[in-house]
Amino acid sequence: MNAQPTTVGTKPAARRRRSGLFSDPLMGYLFTLPVIVSLSVFLIGPIIYAFFLSFQSFTFLDPEGAQFVGLDNYLKLFEDERFHRALFNTSIYSLGVIPVQVSIALVLALIVNSKIKGKTFFRVAYFLPTVTSTVAVSVMFLFLFKKDGLLNHFLGWFGIPARSWFDDVTFALPSIMVMAVWSTVGQFMVIYLAGLQDIPDDLYEAAQIDGANRWQQFWYITLPMLKPTTFFIVVMSIIGTFQVFDQMYVISGGDGGPLDATLTVVLYLYNKAFKDFEMGYASAIAFFLFCVILILTLIQRKFFGEEMRM
Amino acid sequence: MRMRRWMSWISLVVAISFVLAGCGGGSEGASGDGGPVTITLGGAFSSPAEKKIVEKQVAAFEKENPDIKVKLHSITDDYLREMQTLIAAKDEPDVFYLDSMPAPQFMKMGVLEPLDEYIKKNNVDLSAYETSLVEAFQWEGKTYGIPKDYSTLALFYNKKMFEEAGVKPPKTWDELRNVAKKLTKGNQKGLALHASLDRYQPFLVQNGGQVVDKQGNPTLNHPANAEALQFITDLFIKDKVADTPANLGVEWNGDAFAEEKVAMVFEGAWMIPFLKEKAPDLEYGMAELPVKEKKNSNLAFTVAYVMSKNSEHKEEAFKLLQFLTSEKGQQYVVDGGLAMPSLKSMGEKFLDKYPEREAFVKAVEYAEPYQYGEKGNERVDAFNKAAESAILKKKPAKEALDEAQKQLK
Repeated sequence: MNAQPTTVGTKPAARRRRSGLFSDPLMGYLFTLPVIVSLSVFLIGPIIYAFFLSFQSFTFLDPEGAQFVGLDNYLKLFEDERFHRALFNTSIYSLGVIPVQVSIALVLALIVNSKIKGKTFFRVAYFLPTVTSTVAVSVMFLFLFKKDGLLNHFLGWFGIPARSWFDDVTFALPSIMVMAVWSTVGQFMVIYLAGLQDIPDDLYEAAQIDGANRWQQFWYITLPMLKPTTFFIVVMSIIGTFQVFDQMYVISGGDGGPLDATLTVVLYLYNKAFKDFEMGYASAIAFFLFCVILILTLIQRKFFGEEMRM
Repeated sequence: MRMRRWMSWISLVVAISFVLAGCGGGSEGASGDGGPVTITLGGAFSSPAEKKIVEKQVAAFEKENPDIKVKLHSITDDYLREMQTLIAAKDEPDVFYLDSMPAPQFMKMGVLEPLDEYIKKNNVDLSAYETSLVEAFQWEGKTYGIPKDYSTLALFYNKKMFEEAGVKPPKTWDELRNVAKKLTKGNQKGLALHASLDRYQPFLVQNGGQVVDKQGNPTLNHPANAEALQFITDLFIKDKVADTPANLGVEWNGDAFAEEKVAMVFEGAWMIPFLKEKAPDLEYGMAELPVKEKKNSNLAFTVAYVMSKNSEHKEEAFKLLQFLTSEKGQQYVVDGGLAMPSLKSMGEKFLDKYPEREAFVKAVEYAEPYQYGEKGNERVDAFNKAAESAILKKKPAKEALDEAQKQLK
């Protein structure tokens, strides 16, 4: 598809003369103004403000009484055991979810990209969980995984005793991980599917002529050609898993229980901000999380090679 | 090309109007002199039935005060979160609900208007209200709210199960254990109880323990607390006559009771409308919580009406607040039959109407408000975790509480 690059960059010089009142760049900015303004008011502004808050002892109840505390909020992060637990849980969650999620997404994409019957049905079926709200999914899984729920009923056939999955210190987090994989895998499958369809057929034809089998074709053509897609997916997945909140909020009823087993960084941040009234500290947690995600993404970039540009 | 020019102008106008629309707003609702004053009343109306009660109260108030209009601001989302953002924007309602638990923070931070002056001027008699409720909204000698209603905990018991087992509602801890043992058979447990301070505290206090001392410092690992926690935990682990709602496969104690998975729960008056809907044929009774020796204890879950410091119409706002908590206003609470009215005199009327709910009203006399100081949320969290690990990890109560106490330092 990309074999013959077309010339897109030619500038029609004639058009420039007629620009009248506004020059082209200015006009361009004016067109994007609504987005620029709304982004700066609702996204960039709050981010900068939150950065200021992270150096203050700030609470919504008394904004004027905020005091500058320097790096105290950040230093507190190193001593706060519950925060460490939250970070640990989040890392486990991320480490567990990403590889499984990415591999299943790739396998599913390969399946629905092949010439099997009813592939439209499968594409829809796998993608459907993605368009369902995480809260609805969580509530549904609460029913499936409860003590007299469907899962325990099923496991009962194999003699496995029923347990309350989401209320078990050992199994609560893994159960949520299973749910997360199920509900997000469709989204990444679609991205992989687009990646797969971008691989030119002539590569496979050439490989076939050279006598490569299916496995070799997959290993030496499909996977390398999907590298940019994989990079994108892994980055998105890291961001998504490190920011996980809704599932834990719904399933643990907001407290990260049982015994902090499902406490994640964002859930902890939320509770600090809105239940313990420590908005300054919560902002510091948010920036810490931002740095973690940024560093992980930069490492990714190195790992996948410099030529990979998003 | 003329067309192009027009298009760009139009889009420019659209872009600018977007920006202006974003910046607009603000100066609305400024009432001129003479016209009716508008007061906003904010609350978490947790059910349509509750909202109806407030609407009736407001209608009666507006009838009495034709120059004051009341606008309801209903918050159905996370109440504390939304209230905080409203307060930060100085856009909070003039009068609003405040739960006893976060009240210390609100009072300390100067969000609320002290009511003492208005109380004196309008001859409100605070001693007419249940004392434990009023105390929850006092901070450093000032009163910031007048309680609107409350619920305490009672022992709900399944009459049929009790009859079959040939037992009576337990009055002491020993009886509780014995009765629970007799009621446990097959899949049925004696008692459903979730591991948290909002159910355990009465037992701690009955045993002579306390969660917060007089100076306001946490005392989670008080020896009497550990003893009481061990007693409750033993019901789960040793005797296996109690279980958590989660382990029973339900969401909360109420479900376990309604689905007849257990014979007893300790719950508040909110159970009554819940059971009416979920298990209308269930025959149940309500009794006071069992005591260890003589001294009983209970928790009062209460909500007060408070006034914003930023209110522009404080006199009128207090008029509304006073009406809502007056005998006239609380008559609607009695008629509604959800929570108990905070006025002692109305409590008697409530009992005339619902004699079977005596346990709740009796308990308020010796109840403590559900409130643990400014750091209340953290303290409750720490205790709950200790209670949970005592059950889930079979940790000795004392050890679990020592750890929790250390976490709070």
